[in-house]
Amino acid sequence: MPTITIDGEKYQVDGDQNLLSSCLTLGLNIPYFCWHPEMGSVGACRQCAMIEYKDSEDQSGRLIMSCMTPIRDGGIYSVNAEMAKEFRGGIIEDLMTNHPHDCPVCEEGGECHLQDMTEMSGHTMRRYRGSKRTHRNQYLGPFINHEMNRCITCYRCVRFYNEYAGGNDLQALGRNHQIYFGRQEEGRLENGFSGNLVEVCPTGVFTDKTFSAHFVRKWDLQTAPSICEHCAVGCNTAPGARESSNNLDPILRRITNLYHHDINGYFLCDRGRFGYEYVNSATRIDKVLSVRDEDLIGSTADNKDILHKEINPQDAVLNLSVQITAAQRQLRRIIGIGSPRSSLENNFALRQLVGADHFYSGLNYLDQEVLQLVNSLQSDDRILSPSTPEIETSDAVLIIGEDIYNTAPRIALAVRQAARNRQKQAAQSLKIPLWQDASVRQLEEEHSPIIFIGTALSNLDDIADATLFESPQKTALFTHALAQEISGYKAPNLKMPPHLQEMVKRTAAILLKAGKPLIISGTSGKHPGTLQAVAELSRALSDDKKTPTKLYLACSEANSLGLTQLFNGTEGNLQQLVQTLTDQRSANIPTSLIILENDLYRRLDKHSVEKLFSLVDEVILLDTLLTPTAKRANCIFPASATAESQGTFVNNNGLAQRFYAVYEGKGFIQESWRWLVDAVDFCTETCENLSVLKEWKHSTDISDAIAREFRVLRVLDELGPDENFRIDGLRIARQSSRYSGRTAIHAQEHVSETPPINDPDAPMSFSMEGIHNPNKTQLQANIWSPGWNSNQSIFKFQEQVGGERKGGPSGKMIERPRHPIPDWTNTLEKSPQPPNSMQMLPIYRLFGSEELSNQSMAISELIEAPFVLINPKEMTQHGVNEGELVDIETSSGIYRTEIRRCNTTPEGCIGVPYGLPGLETLAALMPGYATLRPAATHSIAGVEN
Amino acid sequence: MSSLLEPEPIEVMEHSNSDPDKISAILTDEEKLEIDEEAKHYEGKSSVGLEALRIVQKHRGWISDNSIHAIANYLKIPVTQLESVATYFQLIFRQPVGKEVIYLCKSASCWVMGCDQLQKHICQSLEIKPGETSKDGIFTLLEMPCLGDCDKAPVLMLGEEMYRNLDEDTIDTLIDKKKQLHADKSTD
Repeated sequence: MPTITIDGEKYQVDGDQNLLSSCLTLGLNIPYFCWHPEMGSVGACRQCAMIEYKDSEDQSGRLIMSCMTPIRDGGIYSVNAEMAKEFRGGIIEDLMTNHPHDCPVCEEGGECHLQDMTEMSGHTMRRYRGSKRTHRNQYLGPFINHEMNRCITCYRCVRFYNEYAGGNDLQALGRNHQIYFGRQEEGRLENGFSGNLVEVCPTGVFTDKTFSAHFVRKWDLQTAPSICEHCAVGCNTAPGARESSNNLDPILRRITNLYHHDINGYFLCDRGRFGYEYVNSATRIDKVLSVRDEDLIGSTADNKDILHKEINPQDAVLNLSVQITAAQRQLRRIIGIGSPRSSLENNFALRQLVGADHFYSGLNYLDQEVLQLVNSLQSDDRILSPSTPEIETSDAVLIIGEDIYNTAPRIALAVRQAARNRQKQAAQSLKIPLWQDASVRQLEEEHSPIIFIGTALSNLDDIADATLFESPQKTALFTHALAQEISGYKAPNLKMPPHLQEMVKRTAAILLKAGKPLIISGTSGKHPGTLQAVAELSRALSDDKKTPTKLYLACSEANSLGLTQLFNGTEGNLQQLVQTLTDQRSANIPTSLIILENDLYRRLDKHSVEKLFSLVDEVILLDTLLTPTAKRANCIFPASATAESQGTFVNNNGLAQRFYAVYEGKGFIQESWRWLVDAVDFCTETCENLSVLKEWKHSTDISDAIAREFRVLRVLDELGPDENFRIDGLRIARQSSRYSGRTAIHAQEHVSETPPINDPDAPMSFSMEGIHNPNKTQLQANIWSPGWNSNQSIFKFQEQVGGERKGGPSGKMIERPRHPIPDWTNTLEKSPQPPNSMQMLPIYRLFGSEELSNQSMAISELIEAPFVLINPKEMTQHGVNEGELVDIETSSGIYRTEIRRCNTTPEGCIGVPYGLPGLETLAALMPGYATLRPAATHSIAGVEN
Repeated sequence: MSSLLEPEPIEVMEHSNSDPDKISAILTDEEKLEIDEEAKHYEGKSSVGLEALRIVQKHRGWISDNSIHAIANYLKIPVTQLESVATYFQLIFRQPVGKEVIYLCKSASCWVMGCDQLQKHICQSLEIKPGETSKDGIFTLLEMPCLGDCDKAPVLMLGEEMYRNLDEDTIDTLIDKKKQLHADKSTD
């Protein structure tokens, strides 16, 4: 390690870093703007000036930009030399000549990198008296505000948006004094990572529009570490909450990135950042609801729908406990349905209540089958689930049947970085350091190979080396052939057209040649055959390379893989439940169904759900949102959302991560497991199973119980400290030490300070008393350091700039028993396609496919109206034209949608958006068959003309 | 007021109501031919953005929103990328200009030799401010940092021609000559 001297002190530093990032790693304070730990240096802003001395004799030294200076062993530098300070002061003064004096009304104020750097450079008085250049701002969509007058032209936004995230609708326009960062014309920033501009911009040009609607300063936000619930990547987030102005209940106000080296790094996707508003949405359940007996005059509800009224929570809990007691006396049967979007703790509590025999997964057969496949693939020693940095360093990527930009967006961003590895290799061979961003990007190397085969690919098509759009069956066939090609088999007679055979050969050659090949697949295609073929391929590649194959498998929901651990194989799927209830119909015992945070209409076809409801006498739902299932429930308990509760999710990598309550939910909202425990508490008699529940007082009690019950989930008791943990006798403070208005906030009632709510689950307080330093514990999510109020302060809490958080990575890998993948007899199924029908292939949307974020106001603005995609060749065959309405006839009924042409939709198939509002109930039918015909109203429309 | 120190805010969000249908904006065959010819000198069509802007401007006088969309469509590059090129170069006009554009040099040598007075004179005689177009639509007055002819200051460029060692009389003659030229053209 090279040794350098800075202001007379000797330090050992990493020679691969530039001087700026080395100094920051050492904890020195140097102002900077254009440099970003993830994006490297371009030397645009001149703010990070330091002095370099030739040798110890040199008294004056020379000015250097530390971000553009490689470390020289034995180098002598100074941060504090007068010349450097003066230069930095001059730069900031110059930048500030055009910056408006609007900090009090600027949403960046209080967490503004520009404010911090101005303060740090000692520029406290303005001498410039001239007028400032002004700009008009643009409408950039529902997520981002634009205030160009605040711009200091550091170019970070376009470097992130265009170069890092692959966007093409934000540019530096104009020149000299008038540079403008914007779109060609007003409109939404189309890239799905646009929300990061809020954090990337060092000042308030781009701010969070959803946060604007209920803005408070950073120091007035209450935070705790959380996990994003909008996909299964498991990005770490720091949600912020505070009491709303019109009532006393706190509301969730925003989501920011919480650095996790192995998962999200510095960036989140827009679904994760802006999807949080579902928590405050109109469809949120915050009361205990029960059947309304009396008829309502003029109700527009469906006649099957149950109308609800608010009831006293105690009555509802009592009612549930009566049912539980009856169940113990064998007078009633209680069935529990779990959920992949709820925590392991909630699922386990329900399982404990109803007994393992009566606990069902809440997944349909196919979904559970593909999840179990993922699970068994990841249990093979020849397969390794890569972290995000590992994905970013792969030199060849094969994506099979997964549209990752829409199903695991953060991973798509990582793949985009992997595409640059050839360029980076070339840079290294030319001895250009990788942090020299502009120089590296100038090298005209081809992208590292990225090959896609599957139904749809979004956002990555510009860097994909080859794309093949095929049906899942053909995708599996291709993968199978590829595996055989790699194993060196004489390929059997796979009926493949020559162009596919050619592709197989080419892909095999690329994978074999690559030093760090990566395969990505997942469950979104709902096609077990594909996953089996992927297994075969990974095994073949691993046998060839003699190292485990890196295989990233995307699952559909935040806790899909966690839920899978609670079941053997496909046991406990919903079809099995319907079958069991049908078989036992004659038993004539009343049945209650407890549904945990699950909308069954998204899991099973309508008829099966109706049948299920007809087979039970009482439906009890614990959920956050009023879903279609809620309309059929006799009793609804308001469950807390992720940001309001503590629990554990298992992500795509098999990493168990704990999320903590950021704030207490409003009204009667509490964790689903607490409702169940409350009901058991009311029971007059309890058997052994139930007395366990009675003992549970803390979320960690359940975590520990899970760890004892399931060997695989043993790590749950080591995930985080329990609620008794203290640092210097103190809890970790959720509020910053500047949290304002403690007495004023309840002023309409009184001005005394109420005691903070006690947190029974985590060693954290809902107040400003306690530990604030994120270096002491990773439970502190308010990333702040003296002088560094913006999110840039994260480097103070990393081992080195861009490295692990101090204290090591959070989360622990679940310990699945290792066993080789069974040899699936590759049944290349001849699917029995009904005549004249089309196969419905699920296609995914970043905004529209995920259940919870769809209820977020900003996101709902962007959700498309129901549509299906069809190959233009088949349009005439069905007598339909682009933009017309068609009826899709399925076993769940008829759906009317717009028809759109799509050249990449395989023939004989239609692309159906998964989970899109209006088409949610189609999700369970895919990839089944449907017939398509012009909408019946078509002729009526003609008459109107 | 437009000067080097305090330039006017740049207009990048021009919403021209006169040509609402972007898709219908297409390049003429002649423009396409010239762009293709120019593209031969480059590796890909996408590199020819600036030349394409210049060619289209030659035919249309300025680059409207429609034109920029048409070029971006033709070259298959993101329109924002082309806009960043168009707004970077001072000689690509994103607003309508007159038939004759006067580039008056405002750099040090010309300033010493009294270009400010000349500018005032031009403004008075054409009844415009710098950056504006005269009412008859013939003249637009723009300021240039340096035209590189300092030994013959003050200078201006009109069309593709330089006019050197200027004084108020030579400018009057020049303006009259051009006015006459365009009057003749319109009576033809």
